[in-house]
This record gives sequence, C-alpha cells and structure tokens, in this order.
Amino acid sequence: MIVKAMTSHYRRHPLQLLALALMIVVATMLWTGVSVLTGQARESLAVSEEAVAAREAVVRVDGQPVSVTDFVTLRRAGICVAPWLETARGNPARRVIGIDPLAMACFDAPPAGGNAGELAGEPFVDISEVAGDSDRSESPGQLSLLISPGTGALPEAYQRKDFRLGPATGELADSFLLNLDALSLLVLFITGLLVRSVYHLGLAQRRSSFALLERFGVTKAQIQRLLAVELTLLTLICVVPGVWFGQALANRLGQGFGLALDSLFDLSLYAGDDTPVPWQAAIVMMALVLGVCLVDRLLPQRPAHEGKSSWLAIAPGWVCVSMAAAGLTMVIWASSLVWVFAGTALVFAGVGGLMPGVLARCAEAMARRQTQSPRSPLARWRYRELAVMFRNLALPVVALQFAMATVLAVQALVTTFEETFEQWLAQRLSAELYVEVPEGASAETGAGALAKLDGLGDWHRVRRGKAELLENTGAGDALTTDLMALSPVTPLVTDWALLASVDEPWAALSAGGVMVNEQLARRQGLALGQRLRIEVGGEIREVLVVAIYADYGRPSAELLVHGEWLPEDFTPSFQSFSINPGERSVEDIARRLKSDWQLADLVIRDNASIQALASQVFQQTFLLTRAISVLTLVLASLSLLVMGWVFFSTRSWYFQLLSVWGVPPGAVRRQLRGLALLLTSGVTLVALPLGLWLTWTLVSRINPLAFGWSLPMAVYPGFWLELTLLMAAIGLVIAWLIGRSLAGQASLRPGASLTGGGER
Amino acid sequence: MPDVVLKVHQLSKQFRSGHDRVQVVDGLSFELKTEGSLAVIGRSGSGKSTLLNLLCGLEPADSGNISVADQNFNAKNEAGGRDVGARWAALRKRSIGVVFQEANLMPAMTLIENVQLRASLAGQPAGEEMYWLEQLGVGAEAHRFPDQVSGGQRQRAALAMVFAMHPAIILADEPTGSLDRQTADDVANRLFEVQRDSGCALLLATHDQALAGRCDHCLDLGEGA
Repeated sequence: MIVKAMTSHYRRHPLQLLALALMIVVATMLWTGVSVLTGQARESLAVSEEAVAAREAVVRVDGQPVSVTDFVTLRRAGICVAPWLETARGNPARRVIGIDPLAMACFDAPPAGGNAGELAGEPFVDISEVAGDSDRSESPGQLSLLISPGTGALPEAYQRKDFRLGPATGELADSFLLNLDALSLLVLFITGLLVRSVYHLGLAQRRSSFALLERFGVTKAQIQRLLAVELTLLTLICVVPGVWFGQALANRLGQGFGLALDSLFDLSLYAGDDTPVPWQAAIVMMALVLGVCLVDRLLPQRPAHEGKSSWLAIAPGWVCVSMAAAGLTMVIWASSLVWVFAGTALVFAGVGGLMPGVLARCAEAMARRQTQSPRSPLARWRYRELAVMFRNLALPVVALQFAMATVLAVQALVTTFEETFEQWLAQRLSAELYVEVPEGASAETGAGALAKLDGLGDWHRVRRGKAELLENTGAGDALTTDLMALSPVTPLVTDWALLASVDEPWAALSAGGVMVNEQLARRQGLALGQRLRIEVGGEIREVLVVAIYADYGRPSAELLVHGEWLPEDFTPSFQSFSINPGERSVEDIARRLKSDWQLADLVIRDNASIQALASQVFQQTFLLTRAISVLTLVLASLSLLVMGWVFFSTRSWYFQLLSVWGVPPGAVRRQLRGLALLLTSGVTLVALPLGLWLTWTLVSRINPLAFGWSLPMAVYPGFWLELTLLMAAIGLVIAWLIGRSLAGQASLRPGASLTGGGER
Repeated sequence: MPDVVLKVHQLSKQFRSGHDRVQVVDGLSFELKTEGSLAVIGRSGSGKSTLLNLLCGLEPADSGNISVADQNFNAKNEAGGRDVGARWAALRKRSIGVVFQEANLMPAMTLIENVQLRASLAGQPAGEEMYWLEQLGVGAEAHRFPDQVSGGQRQRAALAMVFAMHPAIILADEPTGSLDRQTADDVANRLFEVQRDSGCALLLATHDQALAGRCDHCLDLGEGA
C-alpha cells in the first residue's frame, strides 16, 4: 500500500516519469557512445604506436629489397632477425602486419605484436596469412627484417637502418585522447547535473505526499529506502536501452571516427569491430544517476534553507569570481593541456556559482524598475516570479547554461573547421588539374614539356621529400621533417592565407627563404625571421623563416622551399604537377606529357574530385563531436522542458489566483508564456558568453595543444538564433502544458505545499 | 449604488462523481443588501465553497440567476456564451474581492506590493496601500514578504488587498479557518470594522458559529448534498 501511495505521483503524472526515463536513456546513450569510441581510440592508438614505434632493420648494401633468402642467410649466420611483412587488407583498406612469433623468440624484448609463439592480435597476424594475401594481391606487400638490438656485426652485404612505419605522433596522440576524455567528463558532468535537477524538482512536487505518509506513521528511512529502490529500478530499466542505443551510435560513427584517426595521425582504427557490450559504461551511468540523485540522503541533514542548500546558493560571490579569474589566467597562460582543462573547469565552476544569483538580481532590478503602470500592473510580479525561479532553479539553470555553452562552442568549432578546411583545401588545390610524375619518368622532362605548351595557364611542380632540421646551436638531435618544394611561384600559391609572414613572402621564398607549417612552428617555437639550419640532400644550409602557413589535419612538421633552392643531390620521394589548362585542353596536355615521357597511358586528375574526397574524409573528423553536441542539446532541451514544466506546476496556484483577481484567461496565458520565455531566454543569454569563451578556448588553446594546429575564431549568430528559437519553443511548450493543466483544474484550492507562504 | 448588491434566484449546481450526479446547490435564492453581511454556514461538503465559486463566476451554474453589482447572469441563457467569462473576470477585477483560507498573496512580493498589485488590477490609483495595511494592523510589516510574517498577518494583508480595490462585495471563504482562536477573533474584528467603514457587502462562508453570528444574516446550507 505504501508503494502504491509512493508511486501515485507518477500515476497521476505519467509524462513526467516518461520524461525522466527518456533523459536517463539519452544520457546513457551519449555516455556509452562516447566511452566506446574513446576506448576504441585509446586501444587503436596504443596498437598503432606499437606498430610505428622506432626499431632497427637490416637492409642490403646494394639497395635491393630484402627477401626470404636474406632472412635465411642472416639466421644461418647466427644473426637474430625476424620477418615483418606489411600489406593492406579489406575495404576500406587496413594495414595488416605479418610477423613470425617463433622467429622473435631470440629477441631479448619482443619488437611488437607477439612473442614466443603468441600473437597480440590485429594488426599483427601470422606471416603465413599475410604471405597468402600478398600472393593474391596486386601489391605484394613489403618485407622487412627486424634485428634484435645489441646483435653483433652483420655480414658485409648488409647494414642496419632505422625502421619506422609512420610519423611519431608523440604528445599529439596523448593530447587527442585527453581531449576526448575531457569531453566525456564534461558530458558526464552536465548529464549528472541535468538528471539531478529534473529528479529533485519532481521530488519537490511529492514532498506533501511524503509528509502525509510520515503523519501516517511511515518512517523517513522507509520513504528514503523506497525512493532509492524506485530510482534504482527506473535506472536499471532505462540504462539497458541506453547502452544499446549508445553502442549503435558508436558503430554508426565508428567508420567516420576511424577515418578521423587516419587523417589526424596517419593511424588506422584497429579496434572498431566486435566491441563487447560496454557494461562498464552502464555501471558508470547507474552509479552517476543514483549518486547525483541520492547523495543528499547519504549526507547529514543541514539546517540550511530547504531547496537552497546547494553550494551554488551558498558559495560566496568573491570565491566564485576568484575561481573564474584563476581559471581564465590558467587557460590563457598554461602550456599544458591538463592545466588548460583544469582552468576551464575552474571557470565553469566560478561562473556556475555566480550565475543564478546574478540572474535573480537582474530580475529583481527589472522588478524594481516597474512602476505601477495601469497598462502593465503585472510586470513587477512577473519579474519577481522570474527571480524566484532563477534562485530556486540554480542547479538546473547552471546545468543548462553549461550544456548550451558546450553545444555552442562545439558547433562553432566544427563549423569553423569545416569552413576553414574547405577554404584551405581550395587554396591548396587551386589548380584545375593534377598529374603525378609516373615511376621512371623524369619530372624535368615533364616541366620542360609544360613550359613549351603555348597558351597553358599557371602551373607548378611539387617535389616532396625529407629534410633534417638541425638545432641552431649546431649540436644535439636533428628533427626529421617533411619537405615540399614548389617551382615556379605562380598565382596558384600567392593567394594562400598565411598565418604570419614577412613583407612579400613569396618573393622572399623565391629568394631562398623557408616557410614552415604551423605544427612545426608551434612544436619548435619557431618565429618569423628566425634563422634555421637545415640538412637537405647531404648539404647543410641556413635559411630564414619568411612565413608560417596553416596545414590542417595532420601532425607532421613540414618545410616549404622554392624548387630552385634544392641541392642537386636531393632525391624526392614523390613529384607532381598542378596545372591550370588555360587555352589548352586536357587532351592536349596529356598528349604532350605522354609523348615526352614516352608513355602509353597517363592519368590526369581533376582537382575538384580530389577536393571533394578530402572534404568527405575531413568532415568525418568532427562527426563524433557533432554527434555529442547534438545529443547534449537533446538532453538539455528535454531537461529544460521537464524542469520548466515541473517548476511551473508548483507555481500554478498563483496563476489561478490571477484568474480569481479578474485577470482574463488569455492574459493569464500571456503571463505564463512571458515567464516561460523569460526563463528559457535568460538561460540562453548567459550561455552565449560562456559558449563564446569556450569556443575561443577550444580553437585557440585546446586545439593547438591537442592537434598541433589552431583555427581562426569565428562566431555564428545564425546558430545563436537557432538555439534561442529552440529554447523559446520549449518555453512555449511549457506554457502550453501548464495552461492546459490550469484550464482542466476542477478545484480552486491552493495545493498542500503552498500553505506556509514560503515559496519565495 | 443599488440597494441590493447580490441577488440569487433558483441557483442550482451539480457535479459528476463517477457515474453519479451530486446536487451541491439546489434551487437556492437569497439577496444581500449593500453594506450588509451574510454568513453561509453548513457542514463540510455542504457546498459553501461551491456557492462562493458560483457567485464570483469561477464555476458556471447549471441553472438559475445571479445578479451582482448591477450585472445579471442567467445560467441557461448564457451557458457557453463567449463573453460570460470576460464579464465575470471584469467583475472580479473591480467589484468582487475574494479571500481564501490561505495563500492569498503572491509570495515573491512584499505585503505592500501585493496590495499595490491588487489595487492596480482593480484600476484604483496608487497611494492608499499603506492606509489599508494600517487599517488592518499590518502597516509595520508592509515591506516584509509573506513568508516573513505570521499566518494572521498574512490574512490581514489579504483583507487589506481586497479593501484596497474598493469592492462592491467581498466573498470570504473560511478567512479565519487556519488561525488560532485569538488571532481569528482579531482578524474578524478588523474585517467587520473595515467592512462597515468602507460600505461594501460581505458574504462569509464559515463553519464557525461565533463568526457567523457577527453577520447581519445567516444562510444555513445544512448537511448539503
């Protein structure tokens, strides 16, 4: 019978129960999705790090690739070597590495992927499998022979060489994971605040029923136990579909996320398949919901004013201001991502502590400004009610502010990224055509052929290779960087938007200067006008930094020089031409190049299609953050709706009182609408500056530290408007729901919870 | 001002309770003169509150006629009429003061602001609020919020609110029902004093025989339905 009495509230308000359940489902879905993807990312990066870690390999002195025969020769000579056969498998292609764990038994420490007969799992598979793939595939795979460190002298025909499969992602990968973790924690924090707010508002409505049960002899402890059981059951029921939806979301985003990893770090997503059911995420969500909703029951009761006992109401203003100021300072000056996150958390805490009070004071000030105008006698009442709402809804208001600020910031980040990347890509691919210099063909011949074509538009030749950036002191470790050489400098490149440059940067480049990409400039602290010592093609040269250019989406450091500057011995690893056909047709150009290169066939690519493909890949990069942002918005909207609905229900008597005082029903509904809109727009208004600040923190502080490149700060008033309209729509729905319940109310008696006159 | 401020003729109201219909008010007729007072007594559930709700238009009557402050409402003729609600609202705004047992004040406003709000809704010029609060003995508490004063002081402020609107009639539903004897007597004294001075009529629903005895007339609804 007690259970029946306890649950009578939800029998009377089933939509409230449904909304709370929906919130837990969406929150679980969000958290599970993020957890699964973060887990996959962590695992993938760990495996990838292992796959690309620096090792030593044996190569032939004559430059020929090593073969199985070389392996046999070396093992017979007592040298501890192990085969490493790399190939691509599947669609989209994933890198697979074939190893022989038995051959690795002689290594003191296993090089990677397995040891003494055991395999660590993909990408590491048994070499016989990969060999089978290689035989069937057009690309036969690349065999390397790893050598155990400390092995003695090699036979004469062989030498040691550093063995590395990809760029060192180093701190960037760690930062990327930290970024994901921070986003997950922020989501978890906001989720906790929102669920707690909605649950406790519902409890406020049930307070009179509990008081009645106590008068009937049911103890407080019994009521608390039943509430705990009720919430546990509800959470259990809701977490299961939440986990399922979350996993589905992760699977949906998994492929895009893999592409994101691929493009950001040149690493493949190995852990994307067959993810087990993320029970850990479900347990965390259960603990979170039960914890945030029931924590008050575990703490000793404080004599503080009921409903205002949260730290939000009691933290002194100066403490909050100090926290926010300290946080801001940390975010601006900190050089480590962890400190930037700590600073961001402090800013959020400070703003959260201040904001409900500030909003309530603003509403009070507005109320004071209202004179007793016969045209609007209710204005003062409306603002006073608004102040009450901001004070009593401190926690939900702050939760919503955080949620909306996050949504605003992530949306701005994603949109800025898309726009900036599109613009950047358009600059890089400004030529209409793109031709790779085929294997065995001479780029010099190709350049000569193009130079002889009358009526041809702008074109340039690109040579890519490696360079060593030496320390300016001349001693210490060198940094291997990518090198890109362009020649001639034409309008195809001169309109690039550079992050920083000297006057006439392209002329300075032609005169022997060097441009560095943002990643390199940030990592090495390089500035304009700085003199660098670079080793290229066996020569050491001193060059002046004449510009820093944006180079989105990859971690590699890069130097850009003029083609004429390259030493003769420089061996490019890749060469291409970017061409604007001008008056010439594509067929003309192809015919000329084929003729000069003496080729039967030549592929000339359309840059627009390359741009479209690249955009598609990079759009996936922020698919996860966009999905998180949308789900957070759904959660925030849902909680705003429930919160407003429940709170307005507790104030419904005062709207009835207005009717008793002769305010026509239409005017009462207008007051309801006005108040609901003021509440939702007030929350939106305070979310905007926080969202703007968070945007700046993301693009200017967190992004450079996490990914190595920054984005320009941009604001999107259109999205602000969309968000404001969404919040306004929610306000109108709240007003409609309350108005409907007022119209349907038969009794004109104040509720039992209003008798004290203390709902201020 | 007409001699009779409230005239009720053959007023009836029934409610649906499950499949049954319960007759709460059945063919009731009475009059209340200007400056007069009438106590409506009866046991709980006898229909006192329903009658008050009918008399101020918060609930529609099934049949009968109500004439209040020169406005005539015929239940049959005006059933479903669009402007009935608006006419009742206008009447409540300017001519009918309603006092409940409790929760008559807006909690976010001080006592004087509550009085100002009610008076301004009734179209009364500002300036008399303090006078009415002092008349009811809560002038010193004018700038306090409802949760900062006692239950008796809240009820006095509620009465100050209705007097400040200069109503033709006050409908009070158990106005002292939630107060202790001494406070209830004190509030009742103030109510009758000010009602006499202001010259408005008073219709009081109560089950307190002593309070009812202070009115000019008494209408006993008995056991009710």
